[in-house]
Amino acid sequence: MRRQLGALLLLLTVGAFACRARESAPAPSPQAAASDRTLFRRLFGEPGTLNAVLQTDVPEQLVLAYVSRNLFDFDAGLHLVPSLAERIEASPDGLAYTITLRPEAVWEDGTPVTPADAVFTIRKIADPSTPSPLFKPLFEDLVSAEEVSDRAFQVRFRKPYAYRAMSFVMPVLPVRRFAGVPFDRAPDNRRPFANGPYRLASWKPQESLVLERNPKSWGPPAFFDRILFRILPENDVAYRALVEGSLDETLIDASLKDRAAGDAAFGACCRVLEFYDLDYSYIALDTRLPFFSDARVRRALTMLLDRDGIAAHLYRGSARVISGPWAPQSPASDPSVTPLPFDPAAAARLLDEAGWRDTNGNGIRDRGGREFDFELLVSSGNTIGREIDETFVAELARAGIRAHVRSLEWASFVERLDSGSFEAASLASSAPDPNPDPYAYWHSSQWPPRGLNSGYYKNAEADRLMDQARTEMDESKRISLYHRLHRIFRDDAPAIFVVNSTKKYALRRRLEGVESSPLGLFAIWPGPVGWRATAAPRGKGPSP
Amino acid sequence: MSAEFLAAGPSVVPARRRLSGSGSAALAVVVALWIVAAFSPLFSARAAEIRLGERLQAPSAAHPLGTDDLGRDLLARIVVATPVSLGIGLTAAAVSLFVGFTVGGLAGYFGGAVDLLLSRLIEVVLCFPVLFLLLALAAFLPPTPLTVILAIGLTTWPGDARYARAEVLKVKDLDYTRAARAAGASTGRVLWRHLLPSVLPPLIVSAAFGVAWAILAEAALSFLGVGLPATTPSWGGILGVATSYVEEAWWLALFPGLALFLTVAAYNLLAEGLRAGASERGRT
Amino acid sequence: MASDGGAARQRAQSVTRYALARLALAVPTLAGILILVFLLLHLAPGSPVSAMGGESGRRVSARAAEEMRKQYGLDRPLPERFGAWVGRVARLDLGTSFVDRQPVSLRIRQALPYTLLLNGLALLLTLAIAIPLGVAAGGRPDGPLDRISAPVLFALYSLPTFWAALLLQTLFSVRLGWLPLCCVASDTAPGGLAGVGDRLAHLALPVTCLTYGSLAFFARLVRSGVVEARRQEFVLAARARGASPRRALWAHAFRNALLPLITVLGLILPALLSGSVIVEKIFAWPGLGRLYFDSILARDYPVVLGLSLLGAVATLLVTLAADLAYAMADPRVRDGTEAR
Repeated sequence: MRRQLGALLLLLTVGAFACRARESAPAPSPQAAASDRTLFRRLFGEPGTLNAVLQTDVPEQLVLAYVSRNLFDFDAGLHLVPSLAERIEASPDGLAYTITLRPEAVWEDGTPVTPADAVFTIRKIADPSTPSPLFKPLFEDLVSAEEVSDRAFQVRFRKPYAYRAMSFVMPVLPVRRFAGVPFDRAPDNRRPFANGPYRLASWKPQESLVLERNPKSWGPPAFFDRILFRILPENDVAYRALVEGSLDETLIDASLKDRAAGDAAFGACCRVLEFYDLDYSYIALDTRLPFFSDARVRRALTMLLDRDGIAAHLYRGSARVISGPWAPQSPASDPSVTPLPFDPAAAARLLDEAGWRDTNGNGIRDRGGREFDFELLVSSGNTIGREIDETFVAELARAGIRAHVRSLEWASFVERLDSGSFEAASLASSAPDPNPDPYAYWHSSQWPPRGLNSGYYKNAEADRLMDQARTEMDESKRISLYHRLHRIFRDDAPAIFVVNSTKKYALRRRLEGVESSPLGLFAIWPGPVGWRATAAPRGKGPSP
Repeated sequence: MSAEFLAAGPSVVPARRRLSGSGSAALAVVVALWIVAAFSPLFSARAAEIRLGERLQAPSAAHPLGTDDLGRDLLARIVVATPVSLGIGLTAAAVSLFVGFTVGGLAGYFGGAVDLLLSRLIEVVLCFPVLFLLLALAAFLPPTPLTVILAIGLTTWPGDARYARAEVLKVKDLDYTRAARAAGASTGRVLWRHLLPSVLPPLIVSAAFGVAWAILAEAALSFLGVGLPATTPSWGGILGVATSYVEEAWWLALFPGLALFLTVAAYNLLAEGLRAGASERGRT
Repeated sequence: MASDGGAARQRAQSVTRYALARLALAVPTLAGILILVFLLLHLAPGSPVSAMGGESGRRVSARAAEEMRKQYGLDRPLPERFGAWVGRVARLDLGTSFVDRQPVSLRIRQALPYTLLLNGLALLLTLAIAIPLGVAAGGRPDGPLDRISAPVLFALYSLPTFWAALLLQTLFSVRLGWLPLCCVASDTAPGGLAGVGDRLAHLALPVTCLTYGSLAFFARLVRSGVVEARRQEFVLAARARGASPRRALWAHAFRNALLPLITVLGLILPALLSGSVIVEKIFAWPGLGRLYFDSILARDYPVVLGLSLLGAVATLLVTLAADLAYAMADPRVRDGTEAR
């Protein structure tokens, strides 16, 4: 038996020894010469596809940003900039758009990106059988897409729309490589045909994915020779990998940021980049229910959520309270609309006014024989959402309202939401683009199954403002319409808007040229393609 | 099962003499845990009190074990979670053992068509992907202790059943069983008076591990986020939260982990002590 | 117990017949499992469309979702889908994954070696420690070894895996930096022997996590078998015939302990395939457990069904093997089964 225990110890020591040997070896660290031009990036999970139209998830987006260019892109200031396309012209009625492709835009075999490719891609996106959740909403009222010359194509829509041009922040697929193969099973979905600065070199499932330079890359040259993506699901593990030197960047949360601040090893090699983006959190309410149909009650609930306390403590100060479906830095958000305060006494008065009183003395408010008792859904991966909900439920209990937090894994959560079988739900909204139009979520024409207005919210004045803004081509007039809408959203409280918080990234100090934007680090051009690294490990100066 | 076993009073008496050392220490711990559980309602108000300004505080005089991610007193939460874990562990193991022993014992004793049928049943449940069943249950049923008990009990019994069947097969043709049958004893009498006592010692080993396993399983389920609701304090649930704060709040991972460890270990050692006693008795 | 010498052939025949009968019985079991899994899978809330993109996924309108469901063939009636799936499986085709449109068999083949390696090593290590320990402890019940090992083993068994994994990671990877935090290998791992070292280093923590807990179970199982056997006549007789205590212990008492051990092993072995979700998750190990967990969350029906089929077949085969071993070790089992 002693011998067996010895074997166990041996296994452990051999392991330790081997690992040390690895660490002392000269080559592998990213600072070493060979790795200077390799960027070590992180993926949360395995990309399901590298077909740019079928992408659904962040990992896919991160990889494709290097491989597949869009017709247009947003720059860090959120302006539309030409990419594969060189210009876009709208018809006077605002229904047709003619887009001209850039002559130097080529695929990795040197053949040009053609209007036929773009038309094929748009038709595929609009095809009802194509599961393309990212791009489908942009082409819902598409009429046609046609080639008009060997460099240009025209896209027609049913209605004019102020933010239409943003639809063309979309990729292009090579039509000839999808001929005769089922679209969702094309070999290209695993090995995409590149028109960006990099192309796929290797892919080890569940481990890593490597990109190399596209020899026919036509834009300004990128710095790195190789991009190595590691698949690391856990933030914690990624943080340690970063400090150890096998990763150049990772998303972190408030807790890891605090850890980094007190970690000398982190300070020596890495820095934190923190900025506000356009994402925000809110609690959706089914406004058809007797509890939530009265705006006074919805306002009272908002005043029972200690959002300042949440921003100060749960987010450790890195969050701002919001009062409508926009982050404060969105132009649609009116800075003069101040959020409702945390005020349990005023909330109690509003609830009394709305007829919710504790008539039977059991400590729970009721009206017409029905107790104020609801279920608050949260998805199981949403840690801070659960913390917010538990805080909320405790405050509600003091105000005579009973609520239960129920955590559901994502697929069940979404289904409850989409089928309208929920009472209240904690949600995080993440913006794919800077489009501030709240139409799809709050307009009464967008009730399920048509749209995403899962709370069945309806306000005639808000509807009118949203309709008007969609076709108002003058930006300042449109913004003032949104500012009016913002005031309505605060006072009518279609949902409980919570906070807009910062995004935090930990970066190796060697990285330079990392530009943040309200869309984050990655959904912009050049974004990560413009990142560079200092050549010398001790940071003696930038390399050419 | 454990309750049944403890109730078997006199038979345990010889064992008590043997409950020295680790066994009696474990008994003391288990009794202490149940006392804590009995007084836990006193702490429930404190356990529910959220103070965001005091979140993630290290142990201090005000909070002997520190505070959790919402500024709640960790000691109070661990105490309030005690009856939950103890209760679920015992009940789920009892469900598992009862179903397992009944099905396995009948299969082993009667053999033939009964065995054939029951063995298929055991196999179906055995081969059924447990994790999948648990996730499906979590999605279908409200997250109550009963759901968790059923999820654990109804997925673990085939192990007990196969074990019981094997044990019964081993002893049913031994001389004393044959003799009893020849003497005209009824099936029930043979099963309960002759077979049960002889298969009991190994089954107790299985049951002991069963209780411990059920407590661990509850913690693991809550840890994975498919167990008890977030608002019901449970050791596994606190540990699940702790994973988000491993380095900055060591107390959040340490103390519930210790409570869990202590409880499971105490149950295991107590049962082991009883097992030794029972086999002592079996010898005479 | 006694069998006469001329019955060897007859015995082989009866074992064969027993095996065939058991194999035939596996068919309804398998059908039962698959129908249950299929039903539960398709009736459970959520769909591949609602799961799309996970927590960071973008929601689509219910109408668009309905169109996408058609793309996955989810608009067809359940019996038709089940029939189609069984038809494909009969042609040894598990279908393609909803998530990445790769063949299910490929995804399983990719993950299988990792799980086999991890769990196989853990089981070998467990047995290598537990059997000698159990026999030694059972050989002298209440001896010093027995008294010390019992509480230690129970303590280990009582340690929750997920907790231990967190503590081990913090100690060995973060504080001491001796062992890698996660994953299969360093991507700069050299080939040859040095590469083996790197792999072992990555295996050390997960294998430890999977081993320490099951030690107690196996060791105590072996011990109680040995203790029981020591009192039985044939062991006493062996001692009386002059066999050394060591020989009596290993050749006779241990053999007695083998029966329950085989039963339990039969129960444990299929778990080798299902993998350990928690350990694979914490150590980012790309095995079947993680694949299964992720596929359930993604509602990747073909992968979940494929893995369930694999697990069920493996469990049935192993149970069959365990029963056969049982039948050979103890003639009463097979004769009893056949007589009735």
